[in-house]
Amino acid sequence: MRRAYRFCLLLYPRQHRDQFAEEMLGVFEEAFAGRREHRWTWSVRFAFAEVTGVVAGAAEAWLCLKPAPEVRTTPCSNLPQELVAAQQRVDANIAGMVHAIANHQFERARIHSDAERRDRESLRILREKHGLNS
Amino acid sequence: MRHVVTQFPAEAKPLTEPVLLILTSLAGQPRHGYALIQDIEALSGGRVRMSTGTLFGALHRLLGDGWIERFEQEDTARQKQAYRLTAAGRKQLQIELDRMKQLTRAGFARLKAAEAL
Repeated sequence: MRRAYRFCLLLYPRQHRDQFAEEMLGVFEEAFAGRREHRWTWSVRFAFAEVTGVVAGAAEAWLCLKPAPEVRTTPCSNLPQELVAAQQRVDANIAGMVHAIANHQFERARIHSDAERRDRESLRILREKHGLNS
Repeated sequence: MRHVVTQFPAEAKPLTEPVLLILTSLAGQPRHGYALIQDIEALSGGRVRMSTGTLFGALHRLLGDGWIERFEQEDTARQKQAYRLTAAGRKQLQIELDRMKQLTRAGFARLKAAEAL
């Protein structure tokens, strides 16, 4: 069980592992030892919950590591300014949404998502206006 | 149709359940990882059994936010990393509990009003 858990910890980014892996392993062992007298069904549920927790935790740790997508600030010279500005709004909302999700700020993520949908629609209209839709 | 969006000030963002439980657990005294899991299970009346992945994900965020701090507990058999609330964490917990109290009051008031009809 210990080896399997240690293997699962490899899913985390290196910085996270350096900081928490040994401690997580210790806590996992304590939690497992504390309940060993229970039936095997408990052990299966325990292992399932732990693996799910590690996978979710690792995904979140990677998300937090990944820098938010950069907002394009240098406009492409041959595109109309209003189109560039609309694209920047879309990018900024996506960056905000990713950051909010990574920080569990789901209300804020929803606000960014709604704004992104509106801005993307404006962008589509502008692209049509400038004959850029393929 | 009016679209209403609730905006929280940055310092009063609503907390997720694991974060709220961890802050509540640490409000009493500093604890190490396994003690946190046990206390959270007791606090929630056995409803929440936090996995180590969930616990350390939340601890990582809380450390990043500066709401808790880590230190080495030396009075145990082997040295363990323990966690305690910072002043900022205590303030966040207070804000969240006040928010919940307000919501609970409003909820009970509405239930009473509905029963009275």
